[in-house]
Amino acid sequence: MKVVKIKEDNCVYCHLCEVACIVEHSQSKDIIKAFKREERPIARCSVEFNYPVSLSVMCRHCDDAPCIEACQNGSMHRDERGYVVVNPDTCVGCWMCIMACPYGVIKRDTRREVFGLSTKCDLCPDREIPACVEACPNEALTYEEL
Amino acid sequence: MRIVIVGNSVAAINAIEAIREKDKISSITVISDENYRAYSHPLLPNLVIGEVSRSEERFYYRRQKFYEEFKVETILGKRVVKILPKQKAVKLDNAQKIEYDKLLLAVGGNPVKPPIDGLELEGVHTLTNIKAADKLRKDLKNINRVVVVGAGLIGSKIAEKLAKKGKKVVLVELARRVLFPVLDDEAANLIHKELKKLGVELILNDSVVAVDGDKRVKSVKLKSGKTIDADGCIVAVGVAPNAQLAKDANLEVNRGVVVNDFMQTSNEDIFAAGDVAEAYDLVLGQKRPIPILPLAAAQGRIAGLNMLSLGVKYRGGFASNSISIGDVSFISMGIVDSDELEVLKIKKDGEYRKFLIDEDNRLKGMILVGNIEKAGMFHWMIKNRFDVSWIKDTFLNSDFGWKYFNKAFRVLRLDRKIK
Repeated sequence: MKVVKIKEDNCVYCHLCEVACIVEHSQSKDIIKAFKREERPIARCSVEFNYPVSLSVMCRHCDDAPCIEACQNGSMHRDERGYVVVNPDTCVGCWMCIMACPYGVIKRDTRREVFGLSTKCDLCPDREIPACVEACPNEALTYEEL
Repeated sequence: MRIVIVGNSVAAINAIEAIREKDKISSITVISDENYRAYSHPLLPNLVIGEVSRSEERFYYRRQKFYEEFKVETILGKRVVKILPKQKAVKLDNAQKIEYDKLLLAVGGNPVKPPIDGLELEGVHTLTNIKAADKLRKDLKNINRVVVVGAGLIGSKIAEKLAKKGKKVVLVELARRVLFPVLDDEAANLIHKELKKLGVELILNDSVVAVDGDKRVKSVKLKSGKTIDADGCIVAVGVAPNAQLAKDANLEVNRGVVVNDFMQTSNEDIFAAGDVAEAYDLVLGQKRPIPILPLAAAQGRIAGLNMLSLGVKYRGGFASNSISIGDVSFISMGIVDSDELEVLKIKKDGEYRKFLIDEDNRLKGMILVGNIEKAGMFHWMIKNRFDVSWIKDTFLNSDFGWKYFNKAFRVLRLDRKIK
């Protein structure tokens, strides 16, 4: 299964992966609108920096996905492509997926009124190559079989 | 092969999914005394106050077409009254017999009934299944002042929800803090604060000895002598494995049904999983029931595979909980309080982090409050007995993450080469 491979030696801490992720998951998919006019989505990849280390980390789409196992109402599930995604309409923000995720890559979006929403990499279902990979100027992220 | 599953919740559903991954032919029959498709038990408090509705997919564990898609025959609204191991059959309350080749007991737990007088009065409720939740929801119009007995997960959550609905709530807990086994004093104090903010009156180190009233609850009497006026009472002092069926069938039972590493009971054709079973706790190194949803899912899956004789071992699990009260989120797992283990902790505005490490430098437990997002990384360390000697110094950093790991290890893990 193809996922985003992380090549930390190439990472220069530019955060373009996060920007591209935010734009891709925005309503308009337009960078200006996404950042200035609409409610800005949360980036599903995170750049970590601790000199001299820097890398962008996102969901590894585990075969045994502990987040799916921990989900209390089936919101976290495998889509038709086989990737692990969350259904935003049914997620209740109980954070049991966060409790279980061995990579620590599920984030909280607590802006919804009633329930929070767990937010994670969905490997951009509308694209052939994930937005973060395409945006990376240095091939620190590539899309390939692991 | 005929596979029969008694119970229709998390362990049962995960067993079905595991079986159908490998076997499209065997017949699967699910029997449950509840007349509903599988639903999410942790959402019962939300159902009571109408935050989720029965018509919403949010409340259910799987989608409407699940049983059809997975070719499962359902016998709902019927109770299994007896297992007949010699005939390899179960008997239902309508005297019907269902034969099996492999049987899975996934019957969960029953609410513990504490020794309190007057529990039969109107207005006294429990909250462990949909029927109880419906009954409480219908009764809410008669309830203005409610006493919640027990500040575990269900008790704390329903106290919070009812307070949000404008009810006057008194929460009575026997221990010195809420969620006693799940949190330490420091973290529990933060919950105490959140509950008080919502107007919940908290009474600790005390218990309910009697519920008084004529037909309906009028007041609740505490051990300390205090009397609280109330028109409702919710008993939430815990659940115990529903092991009677197994006992009657002469299966080995301690507190829960005893199973081996393959989730197999003392009868080789009968398996057990979920809240009813007593599986291996890999933090405490002993078998005990741990009634939490992710473990029911994992055990159900393993049981399903082993009913097909695939010989998959259960590695064991440990207690872990995620709870949000008011505006604060908590995640805790493993051992959360100990004098023998090395303790690292830090408290700063809105955040609390605590880690317990043994003499071999293995993480044994932790609590995160506020900033909970990397919790699962610690779950992995506990589960895999990861040597934390070289990284534990960074655990207390709010920005804990992959950047603190050894490079070679990090690359292999992120490349999914180390599971």
